[in-house]
Amino acid sequence: MLFTESFKLAIDTLRSHKLRSFLTLLGVIISVSTLIAVVSVLTGTDLYVRDHISNLGSNVFAVNRFGIINNLKDWVDAQKRKRINIEDMEWLGENMRLAKAVGGASGHLSDVKCGNQSLQDVNIKGVTPNMIGIGTEQVQTGRYITDADYQRHTYSAFVGFDVADKLFPGLDPIGKEVFFRGQSFTVVGVAKTIGSAFGQSQDNFIIIPLTTFFKLFDDNRFQSVSIQIQAADAGLMQQTQDEARLLMRARRHVKYADKDDFGIVSSDALMELFHSIVGVVAYVAVIVTGVFMVVGGIVIMNIMLAAVSERTHEIGIRKSLGARRSDILLQFLVEAAMLSTAGGVFGVFIAWVGTQIMSASTPIPSTLPVWIVVTAVLVSAAVGLFFGIYPANKAARLDPIAALRAD
Amino acid sequence: MATANLEIKPTPVPPPAGVLIHTDDLWKTYQMGSTEIHAVQGVSISIRRNEYVAIMGPSGSGKSTLMNLIGCLDTPSKGAYWINNRLVSEMNDDELAYIRNKEIGFVFQTFNLLARATALHNVELPLIYNGTPADKRIERAKESLRLVDLAERMDHRPNELSGGQRQRVAIARALVNSPSLILADEPTGNLDSKTGVEIMALFDELHRQGNTIVVVTHEHDIAEYAHRVIQIRDGKVFKDEPTARAK
Repeated sequence: MLFTESFKLAIDTLRSHKLRSFLTLLGVIISVSTLIAVVSVLTGTDLYVRDHISNLGSNVFAVNRFGIINNLKDWVDAQKRKRINIEDMEWLGENMRLAKAVGGASGHLSDVKCGNQSLQDVNIKGVTPNMIGIGTEQVQTGRYITDADYQRHTYSAFVGFDVADKLFPGLDPIGKEVFFRGQSFTVVGVAKTIGSAFGQSQDNFIIIPLTTFFKLFDDNRFQSVSIQIQAADAGLMQQTQDEARLLMRARRHVKYADKDDFGIVSSDALMELFHSIVGVVAYVAVIVTGVFMVVGGIVIMNIMLAAVSERTHEIGIRKSLGARRSDILLQFLVEAAMLSTAGGVFGVFIAWVGTQIMSASTPIPSTLPVWIVVTAVLVSAAVGLFFGIYPANKAARLDPIAALRAD
Repeated sequence: MATANLEIKPTPVPPPAGVLIHTDDLWKTYQMGSTEIHAVQGVSISIRRNEYVAIMGPSGSGKSTLMNLIGCLDTPSKGAYWINNRLVSEMNDDELAYIRNKEIGFVFQTFNLLARATALHNVELPLIYNGTPADKRIERAKESLRLVDLAERMDHRPNELSGGQRQRVAIARALVNSPSLILADEPTGNLDSKTGVEIMALFDELHRQGNTIVVVTHEHDIAEYAHRVIQIRDGKVFKDEPTARAK
């Protein structure tokens, strides 16, 4: 009852001092909108990365030379590692029991020509034929690399959508020739478009048999195979990875105490890497919004102190009519909390507008997670309550006679 | 033994029945630096129900301090004070607030209405602080405004009302909780003499209806409306006698 009265009073004050309230709440508004914007961008990016970047294929992980390296020392050490070659891959394929499929891929950038057309920096990928089931590429027209291509080291090329589109606009590319590394390849199939990630086309590739690939790039001593292993199901991912690690260590004669001399990359590991980067951003965002919140809270405290001295006479009147300390305390606390909650809600609105603009102008999907909206509003209410305590207490403790005498 | 230091407070003797306000050797002392100022020095008065009393005195006589004590806005330094058989002098802040709400209806010289609130809401305020439900509140506030002939002005804010009307709103507010005592502090001080007469006539009417009224004033004309005048000088009761109006 008294609460609804305080609530009405607070709304009244907010309405009668619109500009002042807005300025007072700027800190809280900025803080809430920053927090929500950052969280929403991060969640959006997270979804995006999950879909477009760390997507190795379902239940697929890779065993490769470097793995995930995020510091210079590991990178320097990793340079001494042996290459992973086709024999390693085939040996794993013969010996792994948990793997549903073991394939391999290797890549290199190269310029590609066709007649007088040319494309720069096309991703030339050598693959095993079973990569069609392991990787994310799908056939649009024609066919993928076959066992026969692999066995006979043929010059067949399965081209990405962009490559087909740019080299053979409006034409059927099947059977046409493309040139790179001094060799002519016959296009046997075209991939379905994948899309782009962070503005980078993912359809700019040419896939050839891994055997042929190593004939072309053999002079490059860094060229290593990334073994792609598919687990039978998601629950067996970890065990399958463990088996692959164990076998590789055995084959490489890695001593018990030594680290792996190869890397294992899974979607989870990639997401983990991404999260460790994102974590820093989130951490900074929380600190920044925290600082804004404190500043916003202090401003609220200030304006509430001003309100108390502005309304001393009113407090005196209320006290003379029987308002207890707790009544006055409640009145000002509710007002402070309402004020900052209004700021929080306004901040949410601004953040929402921001995410709408972002999703309209970038490929990152817009998300406004409910938990962060609720948290932000609750936190801003709490900030108002906390910083309202001192002014409200001051008001509650006023001497009724002195307060009545004030103008 | 510490027996010698044990000060046994005499239990204050409650006033006889029919007495509404009873003060027994009431003192109020202020500390100003190193000197003590005794604003009220041993005032003992009794006011019965349905009395109409004026408290008079020049400025600095301590009548305002006495009024604050009677109005439970302040606590005495020494002595006992009863209102409606309740020993107020021993109460804490919240209990005093309760007494102010239940037992006392204030009428101030400067009206002391909330400027942003309508007449109705101003009259409603005392009911808010004792938890009266909203529908009852409005009903009683309207009734109270009707009593002072302002029912048709209940949606007006104080700045849309004349001085006399404002004071009538204040009186309606004082009456809304049916208090034991109406305590008026220079109720006509901010009004022209014609309006002042109207307000005093209203007090007369309220007295006739059975209310107990204490008017604090320094004007003889106003004090003449009362049936008994208590003169305060230097914090003490100087004279306490019935007026010509007393039957």
